[in-house]
Amino acid sequence: MEAISHAGTVLGVLATDGVVLAAEKKVTGKLLDLSASKEGGYGGSGEKIFLLNSNVIGGVAGLTADANSLVNYARSAAQEHLLNYNEDIPVELLAQRLCDLKQGYTQYGGLRPFGVSLLYAGYDPHYQFQLYHSDPSGNYSGWKATCIGANNGTAQSLLKQEYKDDITVEDAIGLVMRTMSKTMDSTTLGSEKLEFATLTLDPVTKEPKAKIYRPSEVDVLLKKFDLAKKDEDAEMKTA
Amino acid sequence: MECSFALTGKDYVLVAADTTSARSIIKMKVDEDKIKTLSPHLLMAYSGEPGDTVQFAEYIERNIRLYHIRNLYPLRPQSAASWIRRALAESLRSRQSYTVNLLVGGFDTADKTPHLYWIDYLGTMATVPFAAHGYGSYFASSLLDRYHNPDGTLEEGLDALRRAIDETAKRLVVSPGKYTVKVVDKDGVRVIDL
Amino acid sequence: MNSFATKFSPTDADIELRRAQEIAEEEGMSDVMWGSEAGFGNLVNGHAFNIPSVPDPSSFLRLHTDDHADPNCKIKIQHGTTTLAFRFQGGVIVAVDSRATAGSYIASGTVKKVIEINPYLLGTMAGGAADCQYWETYLGIQCRLHELRNKERISVAAASKYLSNLVYGYKGMGLSMGTMICGWDKTGPAVFYVDSDGTRLKGDLFSVGSGSTFAYGVLDQGYRWDLTDAEAQELGRRSIYAAGHRDAFSGNTCNLYHVKEDGWKFIGNYDITKMHYDGPGEVAGAPGGGYGYDVRTQGRFSALAPTVPA
Repeated sequence: MEAISHAGTVLGVLATDGVVLAAEKKVTGKLLDLSASKEGGYGGSGEKIFLLNSNVIGGVAGLTADANSLVNYARSAAQEHLLNYNEDIPVELLAQRLCDLKQGYTQYGGLRPFGVSLLYAGYDPHYQFQLYHSDPSGNYSGWKATCIGANNGTAQSLLKQEYKDDITVEDAIGLVMRTMSKTMDSTTLGSEKLEFATLTLDPVTKEPKAKIYRPSEVDVLLKKFDLAKKDEDAEMKTA
Repeated sequence: MECSFALTGKDYVLVAADTTSARSIIKMKVDEDKIKTLSPHLLMAYSGEPGDTVQFAEYIERNIRLYHIRNLYPLRPQSAASWIRRALAESLRSRQSYTVNLLVGGFDTADKTPHLYWIDYLGTMATVPFAAHGYGSYFASSLLDRYHNPDGTLEEGLDALRRAIDETAKRLVVSPGKYTVKVVDKDGVRVIDL
Repeated sequence: MNSFATKFSPTDADIELRRAQEIAEEEGMSDVMWGSEAGFGNLVNGHAFNIPSVPDPSSFLRLHTDDHADPNCKIKIQHGTTTLAFRFQGGVIVAVDSRATAGSYIASGTVKKVIEINPYLLGTMAGGAADCQYWETYLGIQCRLHELRNKERISVAAASKYLSNLVYGYKGMGLSMGTMICGWDKTGPAVFYVDSDGTRLKGDLFSVGSGSTFAYGVLDQGYRWDLTDAEAQELGRRSIYAAGHRDAFSGNTCNLYHVKEDGWKFIGNYDITKMHYDGPGEVAGAPGGGYGYDVRTQGRFSALAPTVPA
C-alpha cells in the first residue's frame, strides 16, 4: 500500500468515444537505454502502461515486479477467455479475474499480497467504453475519471472540477495532460517522464483500437498542449 | 427417428425438434420437449444418445445460467455456441464422451442479429443460415437450399419449416409425428403452434 | 490458490478410505462386518460402488455373462420380463410378471419384480435383476435419509432423478436396468421411467421388458384417465396376461399393486395360465371367464371349432 502512494501517478479518463490513460514514469535518467521503445512492439516504453488484450489497456502503480506478474496473468486470462468463448474478454470480467487472484493473497497465510493498483481502460459490446480501478486487496470499481499513485488526491479533485459527462476523447486528452502536468513532481513534462495511451473504436471496422504512444508521439502531444519542457540548457544558462 | 430443424430469418431464428423418445422399436414418450431455453435469447435443440442428451443439455443450461448470474448479462450467441462446442470437443477426448448433436439458435441483443450454429457430437461447429440433424436433414438441406430466405418474415420462415417437416413426414419411413417449434427474436423465446 | 492446497493433499476418496480403515482397525471390525451391513456398509455415506479393476469393465462383464457367445458362461443375467405402470384418476397401477429366464431356461416362476422402496414408492425390475434390486434398495436408503434430513418425503421426481444420475455415472460399464419409479407425492400420482442409458422420462403410462409391446397393445387401447379403481386394476392384470401369453420370456404369475394417497397396497398375485382358462377369479373389475382368445371366442371362429367326435 505504501509503495503505491509513492508510485508514479496513473490517470484515466472515460470519454464518450474512448478512454484515455496517462502515467508518470519514475525510472529515468540520461543513461537509461530507451532505444527499444522507439520502434517495434505495440508502442510505449512498457514501464507503466501495458496492452492486456486488444480491447483493454492496463496502467499500473506499485511494485513493478509484482505488476509484471499481474500483467502476465491478465494476458493469459484474456487468452483463455478467447479460447473458451471466441470473443474478447469483457473488461469487467478481466478486472474480476485479477481481483480474484489478488484477493486470494489476502486470505491465505504465508504469502505476500501484490503491491499493485491497476487502471483498466477497455471496451466491450456489453457496456461499451469502461474504466476500472483495482487495489491490492482485490476491490475494484468503475470510474468516469480516476487516478492512482502519488498525489492522487490532488489529481482526483482536479478531475472532479473539470470532468463533464459528454467529454470527447479529444477533450479528455487535454484534461489528462493538464492534470498530469499539475500533479507530477517535476515542473516540466517530457516523453522520458510520461506514458500515454488511448482506446477508441476504429472508424472502419468498429473494433476497439488501442494506441499506446511512442516517446516521439508523446513529445508531439506535449508540444500541442504547450506543456513541453523548455530547452534545459537554456534554462540552466539563464539561472 | 430423431429429427431437428432450424432456420434464420430477418430478425429471428426458428428451431424445431421432434417430440418422441424411443427405445428400440418402441415410442416411450410422444410429448418430450427437446429444445432448451439457455438464456433469454438463446435456444438449443439436442438429440443423440439417450441419457447423454439430457445430462449434457442440463450441464450446458446450468453453466450458461451461472455465467448470466455472475456477470449480470448473458453470453452472446456466438460466445455461448463457442463454449458449448468446446465442452463437446473436450468431452470427445475423455474416457466417456457425450454423443449429442445440437442446433444452437440465438438473437444477439447487442447488434440485433439472429445467429444459428450447427454442432455435432464430434465438436464440429458451423455458422449456417439453416440446419438439420437426423434423417430429416437428408430431405431438409436441399429443400431449404431451394426455399430458404435469409431476409424472410416469420411467416415465410414458418412456411419453409412446414415444408421441411411435411417432406420428412411424407418420405421418411420412420418419421416423427409431432414437433415442438420455438422462435427466438428481440422479444425473447416463444413456443409456436405450427 | 486452492490448487496449492489440493495439489498436495489426498483426494476425498483416499481420505474416506483411510478413515474407514482406521475405524475398522480401532473398533476391531473386519471387512466381513462391513459386508454384513447388507452390502451397503460402505454406501450409506454416498460412496461409489466398486467396479472391476480392469481397463474395460463392460467387456469384462460381457465375457462372463454373455450366454449368446458362450452358453457355458458362469453368470446368467435375467433379461426377459414384462412390467408396466400407469397413472390414472385413482392413483398408480403397477403390474409385473414373475418369470426369470436364463437363456431358454426358466430359472424361476416366483420372482418379485416390484421392489418396495418405501411405503410410498415402488420400483419395477427389468433387465439385470441384481442391478435393479441392489440400486433400488440403495435408492430406498437415500430416500429415507432425505426424509430424516428434510422432515418430508422425497418427491417421485427427485427419487427418480437420483437414480438416473446414479446409473448415468456407470454408463457403459454394463449396468442393465429398465425401471419405473412409481409413487404418490405432493403433486399426486407420479410415474417416471428410468433406464441404465441414463434416460429418465415423466409420463402417464409405461411398459418395459421383452413383453412390453404385447402389454402396450392391450394397455394403450384400454387406457383412460378416468378409469375406476377396479377397471384400472383389471387393465393392469389383463395387459400382463397378454404379455405372459405371447412373450416366451414372460409369464407364470402377475403381481399387482395399487398406489394411492396413503401409499401402495399389494392387490394380489394371479396365475397367468389360470387367467387364460378361467380368468383371475372373484376380483373387482374382472369380466368373468378366461382371457384366452380361444376361450373367449369359443366356437365362433370356424377353423378353430372344436372337433365333434363322430
